[in-house]
Amino acid sequence: MPASDVPPITEHAHVPHSAGATVSQYDDVWLVIPAYNEGQVIADVVEGARETFPNIVVVDDGSSDNSAEHIATTGAHLVRHPVNLGQGAALQTGLKYALAQPGARYFATFDADGQHQTHDVEKMVRVLRDDEADVVLGSRFIEQNGQVPWIKRVVLRTAATVSPTARKLKLTDSHNGLRVLSRKAAEQLNITMNGMAHASEIVGFLAGSGLRVTEVPVDILYTEYSRAKGQSLINGVNIIFDITMRERSR
Amino acid sequence: MKYFWIQLLLIAGSVSMALMFIRTWGQAKNRAWKRIAFSLFVIVNVYAVLRPTDVTWVAHQLGVGRGTDLVLYVMVLAMGFLTLNTFLRFRSLEKKITDLARTVALSEGARHNDARLGAAVAPVVAETVVAEAVVAEAKPEPADSDSVKA
Repeated sequence: MPASDVPPITEHAHVPHSAGATVSQYDDVWLVIPAYNEGQVIADVVEGARETFPNIVVVDDGSSDNSAEHIATTGAHLVRHPVNLGQGAALQTGLKYALAQPGARYFATFDADGQHQTHDVEKMVRVLRDDEADVVLGSRFIEQNGQVPWIKRVVLRTAATVSPTARKLKLTDSHNGLRVLSRKAAEQLNITMNGMAHASEIVGFLAGSGLRVTEVPVDILYTEYSRAKGQSLINGVNIIFDITMRERSR
Repeated sequence: MKYFWIQLLLIAGSVSMALMFIRTWGQAKNRAWKRIAFSLFVIVNVYAVLRPTDVTWVAHQLGVGRGTDLVLYVMVLAMGFLTLNTFLRFRSLEKKITDLARTVALSEGARHNDARLGAAVAPVVAETVVAEAVVAEAKPEPADSDSVKA
């Protein structure tokens, strides 16, 4: 939902009802949201997502702003890294937390800046429920929606085309933050790249895991906020470096 | 006497480096070959400063024009090695910090969410990480575990 439609954060400060008390068809789904300095929007994003998904764990990755306070006003579970470790580390922590919760069967990684939409997650969970796959990845490129800035489109398409692992899985978008994993897949996944290289690491893991991977078209809301927070393309250089050094440091 | 001051400066540098290294001898659990390599390095250093013509002779044998050039090439190599070594050291340190921070975050998170959300939040099993860390720490010094038993 666009940020302008949502009421200010303070109105969300309600008494959170106990997790799992409300009966929802998504009681077995856990949303994992890594957050780093997202105080401006995090409460709205979490409350918006909680309208559909009752179980959410937000990993505050050592934010220096008031993210944790805002998350605490919501009904989401909060896990705080004592120091900033990076998005990959936050995802792994969140997955580990969610895996330990009773009744958790599906695990979705969801961005904190409001660029992902819950109806896409519903669509992806449905694929898993029908047992058509073990892992469902969001793709911006299956249906051309023209929302992706053209330079980003070129770079991301190139990344998906030149990456041998992405090719093996026939992926069109290897760097989408929206993913839904079955319990089997989430238990196997172990993200060691703390920074932004985890996206490539996940694709690499999936390619070698024998899990059934499929892509589902999703809409990404490129808001002013998410554009400003999003990765710059030059960071791709860092990602390539991290990946090449990975094998050496094991 | 032409080279006296520069030789004095360079030897003083080598000797102080050796002294610094010896002072941390006990704390730093460097491996023996690293100590030997360092000692050799200091000795060669002093020798090369006192007899630069010998370095030039070695350089000629290897097909390099001057001794200083040879020293430069070796330094570039050593620098690259050091950079890589430091990078790997940081990576392994980062991994340890990540494991530590994750363990803290999960145990704290489970406790706080329990109180805040009023639901029975399942404790996250983090023992594996702790156990691995304990084992890794205990390995180099079996004497410690003995003293605990005694």
